[in-house]
Amino acid sequence: MEKFEPVIIAFVCNWCTYTAADLAGTSRLSYPTNIRLIRVMCTGMVDPQYVIKAFLEGADGVLISGCHPGDCHYINGNYKARRRVKLLKEILPRFGIEKDRLRLTWIGASDGIEFAEVMTRLNDQIIEMGPSQTSLSKAI
Amino acid sequence: MIIKIEQEDNSPAKGMQQFFKRLLELKEIDAVFLPVKLKDSSSIMPSLVTDPARIKDAVLFSPAFPINSARMVSRLSYKVSGRKTAVVLRPCEMRAFIELVKLKQGTREELILIGIDCPKALTSSDYTAYMEKSPLDDDAYIQKVFSENSETLNEFSFSSACNTCENPFPVNTDISILLHGVDLSDGLMAESYSDAGSRILEILEMPETSIPEKRDEVMVQIKETHSKANEAMMADIGEKTDSITKLTVFLDRCINCYNCRNMCPVCYCKECVFNTDVFFHQPVQYHQWSEKKGLIKMPTDTVFYHLTRMAHMSHACVGCGQCSNACPSDINVFELFKTVAHHTQAAFDYLPGSDENEPSPLSVFYEKEFEDVVGIQ
Repeated sequence: MEKFEPVIIAFVCNWCTYTAADLAGTSRLSYPTNIRLIRVMCTGMVDPQYVIKAFLEGADGVLISGCHPGDCHYINGNYKARRRVKLLKEILPRFGIEKDRLRLTWIGASDGIEFAEVMTRLNDQIIEMGPSQTSLSKAI
Repeated sequence: MIIKIEQEDNSPAKGMQQFFKRLLELKEIDAVFLPVKLKDSSSIMPSLVTDPARIKDAVLFSPAFPINSARMVSRLSYKVSGRKTAVVLRPCEMRAFIELVKLKQGTREELILIGIDCPKALTSSDYTAYMEKSPLDDDAYIQKVFSENSETLNEFSFSSACNTCENPFPVNTDISILLHGVDLSDGLMAESYSDAGSRILEILEMPETSIPEKRDEVMVQIKETHSKANEAMMADIGEKTDSITKLTVFLDRCINCYNCRNMCPVCYCKECVFNTDVFFHQPVQYHQWSEKKGLIKMPTDTVFYHLTRMAHMSHACVGCGQCSNACPSDINVFELFKTVAHHTQAAFDYLPGSDENEPSPLSVFYEKEFEDVVGIQ
């Protein structure tokens, strides 16, 4: 059987996690290519719709990653993101999208090594979970 | 303060009409907002009444529930009108209005909020059929609904929203009209919960009384039966929609009319994202989707719409059932939304409409909370 290559959408904030990804790149660290980064200005602008859309379009996992609490460039966007993730983690599992397919992390701008490690861990965990049923269905 | 509402001819329905007629005549209030039977019709619609003579068509307790009036009261109160209005609302309407007040889409300042023990409701189509067949008169209806906790009215079943409602009692009111546990032949009771409410009751000069002992017991019984029905409903819906494939089947008749959104009293956005260009796709987009999957059903974005709506309003869902009432495709959206709402409200330990000073869960955040959702170990 072909090896399962998941599709993982990661919404990363401009100021912390994206910068960490940049640092990982300039440090020549590698991380799984299954993860597609979408840079947003702040995790606080990740509308729950974006996450729902990603899953319905067939994503096997969605990551939201931003600054550590207290470090948000916009003061409190990451706290808002945390509440929205909590909300989505209540809604989506009712329809068979497992809780652990949606993840939230804080990765600071200087944590290039951590970024590569976390992405590898996330990828391994999603592979273990197998393909999301949404990637197999025709729901829009 | 609790008073007994005096009534003529042993008629609670007339007693309530007198109650509001006198308030208008005494010029204590400028208008009353309450359900009124329309002229030459069996329709009962929420109406703003200013002429005391027109109160004779008011029907406070009926199975008609064409719209959740919270939206209407929001229109009456979002700005100053210079008029004092008494507003009569069912418990679910009251809770929805309190949610709108939190969102600054209405204010209580010029209103006297009057809550009633819920008289239950039929769906709008059942109501029409019931009125054509063998409707009870207003007093007989009150007698029936408040003496037996039945799930049916003649051969019609009350709406599933009513049969599964765990809180059919007024909260957050200035005045509550009490029927459960009250000897109806002797007159309904009104209890005030604010200074403004007490003032109104004082002016009417009706005899003071006290809460009947039976009331608590009756309320507990109703809660219990409705809770059981609610649990059964949630288990059923949970089983019917436990995968995206099943959810897609559950919603497959959805025609994107957005009636459920328009009739939802707590769908609060002034402009809905689903009405914007974001969902006015390019023709080529549809082709690309179809080419990827072999077939796409149109209209598209129906499952997406309902999931997004859940993310927006489930924390504030008051369980009024107007979404299902408005659905032309007979999809049981109410049961789906209420089931999801039960879980999101539990997650934020939030009961919508129960406390005006409790902030809406997605409008606040705290430094230390929900740390279990963070991290990849």
